[in-house]
Parts: sequence; C-alpha cells; structure tokens
Amino acid sequence: MNLNWTAILPEIFITLTALGVLGIDLFYTRYQKDKTLNAIVTLSGMGIAFLLLPFLSAKTQIFTSLFVLDPLAIFFKMVFLISGSMTALISINYLKMEGFDLGEYYGVLLFSILGMMVMASANDFILIYLGLELMTVSFYVLSGFFKTDLRSNEAALKYLILGGFASALFLYGISLLYGVTGSTEISYIAGYLTEQTRTGADSVAGVTSAVLSHPLLSLSLIMLLAGLCFKVAAVPFHMWTPDVYEGAPTSVTAFMSVGPKAAGFVVMLRVLLVALGALEKQWMVILAVISILTMTLGNIVAIAQQNVKRMLAYSSIAHAGYILLGIVASARVLTAGSASVVFYILSYAFMNLGAFTVLLALRKEDKQTGLMVPAMDLEDFSGLSKRDPLTAFLMLIFMFSLTGIPPTAGFVGKFYLFMSAVDANLVWLAVIGVINSAISAYYYLRILVYIYMKEPKVVQSVDNSSSLWVALYVMALATLLIGILPNLLFNVARASVVSLF
Amino acid sequence: MLLVIIFTIFAAITIISAGMVAFSQNIVYSAFSLLFTFFGIAGLYVLLAADFLAATQLLIYVGGILVLLLFGVMLTHKIQEVNLSNESMRLAPAAIVVLAFLGLLSIAIYRTQWPTVPVPELTPTTARIGTLFMTDYLLPFEIASLVLLTALVGAVFIARGRVKK
Repeated sequence: MNLNWTAILPEIFITLTALGVLGIDLFYTRYQKDKTLNAIVTLSGMGIAFLLLPFLSAKTQIFTSLFVLDPLAIFFKMVFLISGSMTALISINYLKMEGFDLGEYYGVLLFSILGMMVMASANDFILIYLGLELMTVSFYVLSGFFKTDLRSNEAALKYLILGGFASALFLYGISLLYGVTGSTEISYIAGYLTEQTRTGADSVAGVTSAVLSHPLLSLSLIMLLAGLCFKVAAVPFHMWTPDVYEGAPTSVTAFMSVGPKAAGFVVMLRVLLVALGALEKQWMVILAVISILTMTLGNIVAIAQQNVKRMLAYSSIAHAGYILLGIVASARVLTAGSASVVFYILSYAFMNLGAFTVLLALRKEDKQTGLMVPAMDLEDFSGLSKRDPLTAFLMLIFMFSLTGIPPTAGFVGKFYLFMSAVDANLVWLAVIGVINSAISAYYYLRILVYIYMKEPKVVQSVDNSSSLWVALYVMALATLLIGILPNLLFNVARASVVSLF
Repeated sequence: MLLVIIFTIFAAITIISAGMVAFSQNIVYSAFSLLFTFFGIAGLYVLLAADFLAATQLLIYVGGILVLLLFGVMLTHKIQEVNLSNESMRLAPAAIVVLAFLGLLSIAIYRTQWPTVPVPELTPTTARIGTLFMTDYLLPFEIASLVLLTALVGAVFIARGRVKK
C-alpha cells in the first residue's frame, strides 16, 4: 500500500506531543516545581503542527479517501491550533491559582484538539464519529477538571449524559444513511444522491426519484442534525450549555465555546453541502427554523443573566444561530455563504476567547474569607476602568466585536453573513439577524456600563502573568486587524471553501 | 422461514430484556437483564454472518463489561436506597415523545425500499476484518485506540485521590 504519510503529519505530531506531555508527568515529575514544562511542550507541539500545515499539499486523499486534506481542512486545523494554544497560554497561571496545576490537563487538551483535527479532515462518517468522540471524551474530563468543585462535577456529569445521548442519535443517523445509500463515505453518498436526483428528473419531469423522497433519508438527516446541533449548542439542543459552561473551569469554557463549535460547523459544512447537497430543500427549512430559534432564545435569555459566565454562555448560543444563518444561505449561494461561515468562525474564535480570558483574569476579594476568588457577577466588573484601564479597554474591544460594532472582526463577520443571506434572497432572515444583533447590544454594552460608569463595589485584581497577557494581546490585535483589513482573510476563507465543490 | 423465526426470537429477547433494564426498580435485576440484551444482540450478529463481531460481543460485553458492572453494583454500599433529589419524572410527556418517535420510525422503515442482499454464507470473517484494520481502516483503528487512551487517562485522573501539594 502506497501512502502519502505527510498528509497526517500534523496529527501524528499532536499525538506524540500529547503522549510526551503525559510522559513528563510519569518520568520527570519529581524534578519540577510546577507544570510549566508541560505547557511549554504543549505549546511548541501545537506551534510545529501549525507551521507544518501550509507546507502540506492540499487536496490529498489518503487511506482510500477516508481522510482528505483540502484547504478547508487546513483552515480549520489552523483555527483549532490557534484557539488551543491560546487556551494553553491562559491556563498556565489560572490552574496554579485554582490549585489544579496538573499535567493531565495539557495531555487531554491536546487529545481534544486531535479529535477536532480529525473531524475537519474526515471524509467518512466512521472517522467523523471517532473524531467527535475523541473530542467529546476529552471535554468530559476537562469540564470536570476541578474535581473538588461540585459545580465542575455537575458540569462533567451533565455533559457526559447528554453528550452520550447526542452521539447515539448521530450514530443512528449514520446507520440509517448507510441503510439507504450503502456507504458511509461522504463523496460516495454525494455522488449517489446526485445521480438519483438526475435519473428521477429524467423519468418524470418535476418528480423526484424514489430514493430522494425516502422518509428514511429525511429521518437520518434529522438525526445527524440533532447530533451536530448538540455539539454547536443550537436550540433545541442547548439545554446543557449554560450549566456546563458555568460549572466548567473558565479556561475550559473558553475553549469549549470555540473549538467544538468550529469542529461541529466544519462537519456540518461537509455533511450538508457535500454529502446531503441533494437534500438542500429539506435541510434549508429545518436549519432556518433552528437558526431563528437559536439566535432569539440565546439573546433574550442572556439579557436576564446576572452571572457574566452564564451570560457569555447564552451569547455563544446566539452566535451559533448567526453561523447557522450563513449555512442556510449557502444552500443557495454556495461559495459566498460558506465563505462567510468560515470567516465568522475565525472572528468569533478570537473575540469569544478574548471575552472569556478577561473574565478569567479578573478576580475579586471574597468578603468572608478575604481570599481572591474568580469574579463572576456583573457587579464585580463595576468600576474596572478606574482600577485597570487597560483590561477595561480590551474588554471594550471584545464586547464591541461580539455586538458587531465597527471597526472590529465581529462587525465584518456579521456583515458578510447577513450579506450572503440577502444574496440568497433570504432578506427576512437577514432582518431577523440584524434585530437580534440589536437585542444583543443591550447585554454586551451593559457590562461596559458597569465597567466605565459605576464605582467599584469589591476589591478587584487582574491576573498579570505574562503568558495570559500575550494571549490577550494577540486576541485583541487579531479582533481589530480582521475588522480593519477583512479582505485578506475573506479571500483565504473563500479559497478554502471553493475546494469543497 | 427458519431464519425469520430465529430472528424473531433473538429480537424479542433483546427488546424485552432491554425494557427490563430500563424499567426495573431494582438495579441488580437491571444489570442481569442487560446480560440477555447483549446475548440477543450477539445472536443477531450470528444471523448476519458476522461471526467475529458476535464472538467479541460475548467476550467483551458479557465477559468483561457486564461482570465489571455487576461487581460495581454488588460492592457499592446501599446502592438500592439511593435518594433521588429530582423527583419530577414527567412520564406523560416522555411517553408521548417516545411513542411518536416509534411511530415515525416504524412508518419510515416500512415505507422504505431497502437495498437488500441475499443471506450471506457463514464464512469466517476474522481474517478479512484484520486485514482491513491494518490497511484501509488503519486510521479509524488508531483513532479508536486514542479515544480509549483518553478515556483511561480521564478515568484515572477523576478516580485518583486529591493530589498532595
């Protein structure tokens, strides 16, 4: 068998790094004071994998086309590696402060990234499922990482039970699809279904063929969508999100709101636009409804939240709704729609990670014990601009970007998304999106009101470890740069999706 | 015809025992009913001429996982007197959703023209599965091993006592 091994070199590298990080704990642990070495190895592993990616030849298929490396996969792997390394950077000091500075954290983090990378490249439902499980199993562990914290336990348990349920639905969908088409391979299913459409159109004009009108095909579509919507936290599969996001360690929540979401969307792009492209009339309607529900529920419930972490959880639900809107649009305008989805996911990764990082960095004095504990409530942010103007300003950038105010990445991202909806003749959908952005301004800007216009109520402090600030500066700069020079990145996004079709 | 009868028997064993797993009030009964569920599924695999899968089903699920599960049930103190803090069962809405879904599935399955193949002959499949795992399906095989490794690392991490500082 002749294999082009270079195509999976980044994955091999991440695997070796993960095993190495676990190995450090095994052999080297008595010589080191803390786990900084694990973090450094993790970061350099991800860095090397990231640098390898542009040099690999795109459009390679290996393992009899189980695994494809196209520009879309490369783009998403870069998103995963960037957000993963940001997460590792912000975790170093956070884990020390919370008393859980353990090496396993980095190993499991790397495995979750490996799972996402496999999902981005998978051209077969078996591989998609395995990547999904690798990612999810890692997050079961990560969300329960503060194991003496009851809420962290609750988060892990809730995610485990509901995640298992979603995986089962997804698997059921795969098995039904296999029953109808006779294959689990995405490109084969795509070809088979397109051919059925064509022969159906030939025989009787306007009547779709027997296979396409299979009730079973629609059923498997619904089940696949249910499994994926769970991972990207879309309504009505969002129930776990607020509790899990609130209970999990903040660094994990930050990564959870970006990585699995992006991975879920890349699978959605491949499954819906390629494998089930022939069924677009069906999934377009379903996704349009889900998108509207997700945006509206996320934004309206976020208004009622006093806990900032919970509020950001609902905000991330709302953002999944915006991205779904782009996928609906790409049913009609393939390239523009999916390019805007890809573009928005990268912008969202930076701004959302940034917002969570500010939340993670901010600590307040507990009135009873006098210890510094993580700040969670809206009140804890009051008067931050007077105590720490720089942190306050960075939060302003991220909040502006999440709202969609120029000149930030969020504005351009939303502009492209809504424009593609207009191009697709879905003006009403774009209007609902814009109304939702206006609603979201209320709760994003309310944080800024607390930061800039109120007097401090508690003793605050901001984590000043250099690793965290490197990450924070990178994310703030990226958020601004994407907002000022969007064309460059949008062309990359467009080039990455063209290879899909 | 004989095949249909055997299939019905195995399917009935699987479904009835699965129902007992879910509805039994006593967790020991549930665990033992699971034995029959696994056994019934192994029988279905044999009918599909998947001999290797049937053998692994018996070896791993019945021989390994179930025994472990029973040990867990037997050794856990007062496992039958667990007080549930959340008592809202919502039986009626759950029943409606489940029955509606069952109806939908049955209609879809009956209306579908399944692409069928003739009943395969009972030839050993182990060698072919082994070759495929080492060639075409090498990557899924390796990823599956990493999933297990991650689950193992996570389980050890969570089960281990508090780390000394």
